[in-house]
Amino acid sequence: MANFNLRKAEPKDVPDILRLIKELAKYEEMEDQVKLTEKDLLEDGFGNHPFYHCVIADVPAEHRCSLTDYSVIGFAMYYFTYDPWIGKLLYLEDFYVMKEYRGFGIGSEILKTLSDTAVKNRCSSMHFIVAESNKASIDFYKRRGASDLSLQEGWRLFRIDKENLLKMSAEE
Amino acid sequence: MANFILRKAEPKDVSDILRLIKKMANFILRKAEPKDVSDILRLIKELAKFEEMEEQVVLTEKELLEDGFGDHPFYHCVVAEVPKDKQSVEGYTVVGFAMYYFTYDPWIGKLLYLEDFYVMKEFRGYGIGSEILKRLSETAVKARCSGMHFIVAEWNTSSIEFYKRRGAADLSHEEGWRLYEIDKRNLLKMTSK
Repeated sequence: MANFNLRKAEPKDVPDILRLIKELAKYEEMEDQVKLTEKDLLEDGFGNHPFYHCVIADVPAEHRCSLTDYSVIGFAMYYFTYDPWIGKLLYLEDFYVMKEYRGFGIGSEILKTLSDTAVKNRCSSMHFIVAESNKASIDFYKRRGASDLSLQEGWRLFRIDKENLLKMSAEE
Repeated sequence: MANFILRKAEPKDVSDILRLIKKMANFILRKAEPKDVSDILRLIKELAKFEEMEEQVVLTEKELLEDGFGDHPFYHCVVAEVPKDKQSVEGYTVVGFAMYYFTYDPWIGKLLYLEDFYVMKEFRGYGIGSEILKRLSETAVKARCSGMHFIVAEWNTSSIEFYKRRGAADLSHEEGWRLYEIDKRNLLKMTSK
């Protein structure tokens, strides 16, 4: 079974995108942290100014796995970021293929499509974060030439959450 | 002759004192305009120099203009400007900047991503950095962002302290995230397979 199709996400895909986001979060044992709704995804991805883009992998009816009845079985969420030294970058935010559909090269094809998108948009590279415990993903990316900038350059990701943002904006 | 008194400051005067300190520092924060592009590039290079990476800046004014002020801006900038009589030693009035853009977290939605943040050395200590961060916080809240993200080099203890004082949490430490890159050469390799 290798018959699948990659395409740009459409508004109708929003329920499947949310489903896959939750599946990936579940795999990371963080399912209850997903606060996003279908409404948010629709407004944020398909409004006047999209805050994210998605590539969808779907399979035709006759090739679906008997255990699941979904046609959308994988996705990648990305957006464009900006490096002040080199300019545009493609940032890969989420990337997931349903368990039953792994091993057929779908992940590789998604990454290839994203590479194509990056090059077409004159991006200097693709960035993404990976949890240091996620050895399988790290190997997947390293096989494709990824380098660990946290290791090489000592970068650490920080966050100021909403509560603290409100605190700062209210300060005199 | 104006009727005034001089007196020792009291606790109630604290907000007026701060207001007057800021007036002395005398700067404004504003949204960057196309005319600011050469100052933005200058400050990007100054910050890169501080990180000993100045030759790595290959971006040009033309790209900054297209990418920031075209139909679809890929970044936004806030700049700090001082009046002409307070200009820098070399004659610059744009003395600080922050570059940011919006990113998306699949669990919580929009985030404000702080990419570059720099105030010229001779203008530090006047609260310009704090004001910039405050402005960015307002922008983030107005745009319905769930938080602000940014990366800091682990050796940059003064920046880390600056951010931690404002409630920043080290997600790399707490959640083990590491930043990866697939560069252009390897992207092209993948597209040609």
